[in-house]
Amino acid sequence: MIRFENVGLRYGTGPEILRDVTFHILPGSFHFLTGPSGAGKTSLLRLLFMSIRPSRGLIFVFGENLSELTQGGRAELRRRIGIVFQDFRLLDHLTTWENVALPLRVMGKRESDYRDDVTDLLNWVGLGDRMHAYPEILSGGEKQRAAIARAVIGRPELLLADEPTGNVDPVIANRLLRLFVELNRLGTSVIIATHDYALMDQLDAPRLVLLDGHLQIR
Amino acid sequence: MRRASSSWTATSRSAEPVTFLTNIRDYPWSGLVSGIVPSRLASYLPARFQAKSTQIVPSASIAGNALTVVIAIMSFLASLTAGAVYMVNQSASAWVSDIASEITIELDPLVDAPDIEKKMTLVSLFLAKQKGITEVKPLTAEDSAKLLEPWLGHNAALAELPIPRLIAVEIDRSNPPDIELIKNALTQNFEGVTLDDHGRWQAEIKTLTRSAALGGLAVLALVFAATIAVIVSATRSAMASNREIIEVLHFVGATERFISREFERHFLGLGVRAGLVGAIAAASAFLAMPYVMNLGSGGITEAEMHRLVGPGRLDLWGYLLCFFVVFVVAGLCMITSRLGVIRVLKAYE
Repeated sequence: MIRFENVGLRYGTGPEILRDVTFHILPGSFHFLTGPSGAGKTSLLRLLFMSIRPSRGLIFVFGENLSELTQGGRAELRRRIGIVFQDFRLLDHLTTWENVALPLRVMGKRESDYRDDVTDLLNWVGLGDRMHAYPEILSGGEKQRAAIARAVIGRPELLLADEPTGNVDPVIANRLLRLFVELNRLGTSVIIATHDYALMDQLDAPRLVLLDGHLQIR
Repeated sequence: MRRASSSWTATSRSAEPVTFLTNIRDYPWSGLVSGIVPSRLASYLPARFQAKSTQIVPSASIAGNALTVVIAIMSFLASLTAGAVYMVNQSASAWVSDIASEITIELDPLVDAPDIEKKMTLVSLFLAKQKGITEVKPLTAEDSAKLLEPWLGHNAALAELPIPRLIAVEIDRSNPPDIELIKNALTQNFEGVTLDDHGRWQAEIKTLTRSAALGGLAVLALVFAATIAVIVSATRSAMASNREIIEVLHFVGATERFISREFERHFLGLGVRAGLVGAIAAASAFLAMPYVMNLGSGGITEAEMHRLVGPGRLDLWGYLLCFFVVFVVAGLCMITSRLGVIRVLKAYE
């Protein structure tokens, strides 16, 4: 599904953030991506999401060599990936329902075709009674669940989450983890970037550990 | 969670890069209408012109409101300048046309002084017989004296002066007479009679009007350049406040084309509405101008004012020119927003 071969990354003329990173993500797998702050977790996620290009090495996403793809081709692949940001990135002028429906809307689907799907998903993540609320009145946990719902509404084959439990209490963090596990059970590959060891200890999943720019799989 | 198999995989939507000239035919022009029409009225539009759902780009923001005011003011100034330049050009063309359609015959008052009235009649009759002459109007001695009043005043001394007698001749511009032939015939048949075809005066007026037109165009170019600079700058500022929306749309898989269209629709609507306010204000100013000119003209009569600065009102083409500014302004907003989207997205590619 995803293959990195000797990938290196540096910003401008700065030092190399990632060095010779090589790994392979299989369909339906669940991984944690961890490492100390500044180790390059977010940069690796950005490479996975194709929002930056590597300085060297090869990245294959869904069998496509990213260096050979056009801008439009990358947008097509991006639709097969869902991403959850640590700061949620919900649009404040849209309701929770409209935020979650956004990926389907940008695909050009008719609202009548996805209306029930969005409502069902919001009920599933426990936001059934908040679907007409605007993000600014949602709690941190509710925002995070809305962001997760937006990431999975397009039925992505891969879900990337950057510190999804960073802004919520342990109880909510547990509920979110259960949500990711459930999604994984439904067939979505999941990569969660976190430095919350308590969260990782709850699940027996391989860990991609970044240290000094090098990646180890434990 | 219910699975809808149709939404699991990405659809095969267009992946070609955005260009300005491609896809014009495929462009969803009908979708732009919902961006232009105020939201209250949009619900009355036919279904194909209505926005599909809540606008992705918020319709109101501080930067957007400031941009609306800036566009309205700059459109007003640009429309006013365009209309004024058009009016000056029209007046100048009318002057040249008036002068070119007249010639003046001058009779020396010192030659055949006692029979000058008879000579006036003979010359007038001679002129009336010539081809290409539509009207011959002999001016009385009082008429000629009146022409000198602005310089010499109205007093008895004027009657003592040997004032040349004039015959105003109107020519048919579509079938003009042979001026040289008439000039030679007058010189041969009548002593002390000269013909002035206003050639020198015409040349001066043409130079003057050409200078006025060029000056007007230069002012128009400057105002347009300022308008473009201000609108591009204000649109960029408004776009900067929408950066997060562009990023989120990018991250949820929107193509550059989709994001561009959303912003184009928003900024086109904003540009058209604000531009219309400016153009309508400028058109109102031109409508009111003749009345204002009458109020402020003091002792000068309407006819004299008309002769000096033209009618002071625009014709249909002049008003259309004012409203053409709206298209330019709206187009600028639209293009600048697209370039803004491309610039933001470049950071992610």
